Amino acid sequence: MTRSSDVKPGPRTLATTRRSLLAAGLAAAVAPGARAAPSRTLTVAAFPLVDQIVKDAIPQWSQRHPDVGINVVMRQYDDHHTAMTTALSTAVYLPDVMALEASYVGKFSDGGGLSDLLQPRYDIGRHRSRFVAYAYDQAINRKGQVVAAPTDIGPGTMLYRKDLLDRAGVTAADMQPSWDAYVDAGIRIKKATGANLIGNVRTFKDLMIRGGLQKGQGIYFDSDSNVLVDTPRFHRAFELSLRMRRNHLEGHLETWSNEWAEAFRRDATATELGGSWMVGQLANWVAPGTKGLWRAAQLPESTWVSYGGTYYAIPRDSDPAKKALAWELIEMMTLDPSRQIAALETQDAFPALLAAQDDPAIAEPQAFLGGQRARELWREAARHITATAVHKQAKFAEDAVNAALDSVLDDGMPIPQALSDVARLLELRAKR
Amino acid sequence: MRLPNFLRLSPKWAPYVFISPFLILFAVFGVFPLCFSLYLAFQSWEPTGGLKAMEYVGLDNFRFALRDAWFWKALRNTLWLAIASGVPQHLVALPLAAFIHTSFKRLRDGVIAVYFLPYITSTVAIAIMFNALFSQDYGLINAALAQLFGMSHVDWLHDVARIKPAIAFIVFWRYVGFNTVLYLAAMQTIPGELYEAATLDGAGRWRQFFHITLPGIKPMIFFGVTLSVIGGLQLFEEPFILTGGKGGPQQSAMTSAVYLFREAFDFNDFGGASAMSWLLFVVVALLTWITNLAFRTRKGLA
Amino acid sequence: MSAAVDVVPAIGREGAATRGARWIAYLVVAIGALFMLAPFWFMFVFATHSRSEIFNLPPPIWFGDDLVRNFKLLTERIPFWHNLGWSIYVAAMATALTLLFCSMAGYAFALMEFRFKKPLFGLVMATMLLPSFMNMIPTFMIMDALGWIDQQRALYVPGAASAFGIFLMRQFAATAVPRELIESARMDGCGEFSIYWRIVLPLMKPALGTLALITFITSWNNFINPLIVMRSLPNYTLPLALRSLQSTMNTEWGALMCGSAIATIPLIVLFAITSRQLIAGLTAGAVK
Repeated sequence: MTRSSDVKPGPRTLATTRRSLLAAGLAAAVAPGARAAPSRTLTVAAFPLVDQIVKDAIPQWSQRHPDVGINVVMRQYDDHHTAMTTALSTAVYLPDVMALEASYVGKFSDGGGLSDLLQPRYDIGRHRSRFVAYAYDQAINRKGQVVAAPTDIGPGTMLYRKDLLDRAGVTAADMQPSWDAYVDAGIRIKKATGANLIGNVRTFKDLMIRGGLQKGQGIYFDSDSNVLVDTPRFHRAFELSLRMRRNHLEGHLETWSNEWAEAFRRDATATELGGSWMVGQLANWVAPGTKGLWRAAQLPESTWVSYGGTYYAIPRDSDPAKKALAWELIEMMTLDPSRQIAALETQDAFPALLAAQDDPAIAEPQAFLGGQRARELWREAARHITATAVHKQAKFAEDAVNAALDSVLDDGMPIPQALSDVARLLELRAKR
Repeated sequence: MRLPNFLRLSPKWAPYVFISPFLILFAVFGVFPLCFSLYLAFQSWEPTGGLKAMEYVGLDNFRFALRDAWFWKALRNTLWLAIASGVPQHLVALPLAAFIHTSFKRLRDGVIAVYFLPYITSTVAIAIMFNALFSQDYGLINAALAQLFGMSHVDWLHDVARIKPAIAFIVFWRYVGFNTVLYLAAMQTIPGELYEAATLDGAGRWRQFFHITLPGIKPMIFFGVTLSVIGGLQLFEEPFILTGGKGGPQQSAMTSAVYLFREAFDFNDFGGASAMSWLLFVVVALLTWITNLAFRTRKGLA
Repeated sequence: MSAAVDVVPAIGREGAATRGARWIAYLVVAIGALFMLAPFWFMFVFATHSRSEIFNLPPPIWFGDDLVRNFKLLTERIPFWHNLGWSIYVAAMATALTLLFCSMAGYAFALMEFRFKKPLFGLVMATMLLPSFMNMIPTFMIMDALGWIDQQRALYVPGAASAFGIFLMRQFAATAVPRELIESARMDGCGEFSIYWRIVLPLMKPALGTLALITFITSWNNFINPLIVMRSLPNYTLPLALRSLQSTMNTEWGALMCGSAIATIPLIVLFAITSRQLIAGLTAGAVK
C-alpha cells in the first residue's frame, strides 16, 4: 500500500491535464482570430455562389449599419439544405437570414417554419409589382403567406454551339418550332459533326415535362395531390427521349460529371438546355476553351421555364431582436438594383427585380456567347414564366421518374408500363 | 491515498458504480433512442414544423413501407450485395488462411498485415478512390481490362447491371483480409498432432483441409459468417459514396440502409423511415437466426 | 493467444506437380497482396496529379508534381486543418472515454458479483447484433433533443458505451486478473477504486492497448454518425469534409485524392507499428 508521499501526479491527473491541453490547443487552432467584434451580428446561411453575393454586399451594409456585422455560413448545396431542414425542425442554430433554392422554398413553405413576409413589419406585399411575377408567386404557400423574397431567377435557355450547327447547316430557328424539330435537327448535327445533341437526356426530359402546366398544377402532382405522371405530357417526353436515345443523340453522361464536362471540351456536345447561369459554369470551369463558340436562344416550342432561382427567408423562430435587421438586409439584397446587378456581373445571377432588368448591364454583350446580348433574351423569357406549385413529394417524384426513364431507355421497358408503375409508386406517397 | 470513510465505496455498491457510466450512456444513447424510434414509427412528422408537429397514425407507416416498391427493391439490392460480397470473402479467405498458415513463416506477419490493411482504412477515402478507378472513360480498371482482356469500357457506375458488382467487389476487397486473419487465428488452435496423424495415414493436403482444418475452425466460420450476414445487411457507406448518396441508376445500388437514410434525411419522412428500420430489423434478426440454425444442426453431427 | 503452434502439415514427399501448385499458390497470394495495396498506391499517386491528369487515358501510374497545388486547393475548399483537428480530437476523446468506461464495466462484469449481472451482460451483448441502421434516426433525435447537433461530443460520448469494448475487457479481465489478488487487496483495506486503478488496470494493459487501437481507428473512420449529426463544414471530421468536397459540381479530384490520402496515412502508420498487437488482440477476443 503506497503512502501519500509516494504519490506523484497520478496517471489520472496527467491524463486530464493532457486532455485539457489538447482541447485547449485544438480550440485555439479552431477559434477564429481575434478581431474587433461588432456589437451585433446577423447570421446568413447560404450555399455557393450565393454566399459570395452576400459577402460582396457587406461593404454597402457596413455603411448603413457599421455596428452590425454579417456572418455568412457557407455549406455545399445539398449539405446547406439538409442543415436548414434540421435547423427548422429543431429550432436550433437558426440563421437570421436563410438563402434557399427555389425548389426548397416549395418544400419548406407549408411547414410553417418560415416567417410570413406579408406581415406588417415586413410588408413584402407592397413590393409585389417590383419583382418578376412568377418569382414572387413561387413563394406563396397554400395559406396565401409569402415565405421568402426572390433575389435571382434562372430563366430557361437553350445554349448551342454555333460552329457545330453551322457545319450541319442547322440554325437555332430550325430547332425552335417544336421539340420534335429540335430532335430532327439533332439527327442532322450528329450526321455532320458526330456531336451529340445534348449530354444527358434527362435535361431534355425535364424541360419537356415542365411545359404546358395548367394553373395550380405542379410538375408531378396537382394541388389535390393527384399524381400527374401518367399523362400525355409525360408520355410525349418519354417518347422523344427514347427517339433521342435510339438515334444516339444524347451522351448518356451524368450532368456535372467529369465525362460530361469533357464532352463539352472535346466538341462532342452541341447544345445544352438549362438556366441562364449555365453560361457562367461553362465559362468558368466546364469548357472555358470553347469561349465565343456558343450562342443562346429561347427554348423550343415556346417553353418558358425557370431553372432554379434563389430566395431569402427569415425563419419564424429566429432571434426576434434581429428580425428587423434581417429584413433590412433582405430588402437591400433584393430591392436595390445595384446589388442585383452586382450579383449578375459577378455570379451570373439573373435579377428577380424588374428595375434591375432595365439596367444597361442587361444590354452588355456576352463574350462567351460571341458578343451576343443574351441577357435581353433571358429578360424576355422571364416575362413569360408562370409559377409552378412544388409538392412536398416532388423530390422523390423526380428520382422515381428518372428511374422510370432509365428503365425505358436502358432496359427497353414499354413507356406506358413504366409510367403507370411510377404513378402507382407516387400515389402511395402523395398524401403523406 | 485513502479517501475519508464516507466516500469510500463499499464492495457491495462498487459493481453498480463501476458499471454506471456505461449503463447511463447505454440507457441514454442506446435504449432510449431505440424506444423513441419505435414510438416514432407510429407517428407522422413534418420535420420543418418543429418537434410539436407529430401526429399519431397507427400502423399507417408500416402499411406504407410494406407497399412501397422501393422498400422491397432496397431489400433485394441489399440481399444481392450481401451474398455477392459475402460469399467470395469466405470462399477466398478459408483456403488463403490455410495456405498462409502452412506455408509462410517469416513473412506471415507481413502478408497478414497487407491483407488486413483495407479493413482499417476509411471507407470514404476508399470509396472516393474507387469512384475514380471505376470511371468509364478514364478509370484505371477499364484501362487495365481493356489492356489485358480487350474488353470495351464498362460503365461501372451508371449501368444498372454493373454498379452492383462494382460495389460487391469493393466490399469483398475490404473484408477478405479481415476474414483471413480470423480464420488464421482459429487455425492456430488446431493441434498439430491431428495433422501429423493424418499424414501418417496417407491423407493429402486437400483431404486434411476438408476433414481437419474446416471442422476444427467451425465456430470461427460461424462467427465470421454471422458478421458478414449482419454487416452485409447494413451496408451503407460504399453504396452511399459511390452513388453520391442517391442510390445509383434506377436505385439499383440503393441498399436498405441508404434508402432509410434518404427516406429520413432527403424525403423528410421520419415516421416512415422509423417503421422501415423496424421492419428491416425483423429481417436481420430472422436471417441471423437462420444462420444460427444452419450452423447448429451441422454442429450436432460433428 | 496461444503460443504459435507452428503447424506445417503434410510436407512429406512433394511431387513436382505439388511443388508447382505450391508456387502457383505463392503467386496467387502475391497477386492478391498487390490487389490489396493497389488502391492505396494509386491514391497516393493521384494525390500528386491535377484533375485533368488523373482523368486521362492512360491514367498516371507514377507520381506527378502537383502535390503542393493540390494541397493548396484542398485547404481552400475545406477548412482542412479544422477537420483534421476534429478527427484527431474526437478519436482521442472517444478512446479515452471508452477505455475508462469499458474497463470499469468489464472489470465489474468479470470479477464482481451483483444482482442482474447475467441479464445485464446479456442485454449488452444483444445490442452488438443490432444493425447500425437502427441507430440512424434515433441518434439524430436524441442529439437533437440534447441540443448536441453539430457538436463534437455527439460523436465521442455515445460510443463510449461500446458493447464490443466491454466484451473485450471482460474476457481479458476474467483471465488475466487473479481474484486472490483483489481479495487480498481488499483485506488490506484498499478502496475499491484504488483496486481498480492500481491493480486491475495495469494487468489489463494489453487489452487496453488493443481496445485503444480499435476505438481510435473506428472513430477516425466513422462516417455515418458525423453525417447524421454534424451540420457545419468547420465542425466536420475529415471523412465527412472529404465527402462534402466530392459532392461539389466542380470536383477538384487532385485535391480530393490528396485529402483522402491524408485521411488514410495516420492509420496506416499506426497500423504498421501496431499490427501485431492489434490482430492478436482482435483474434484473441474472437477465438474465445
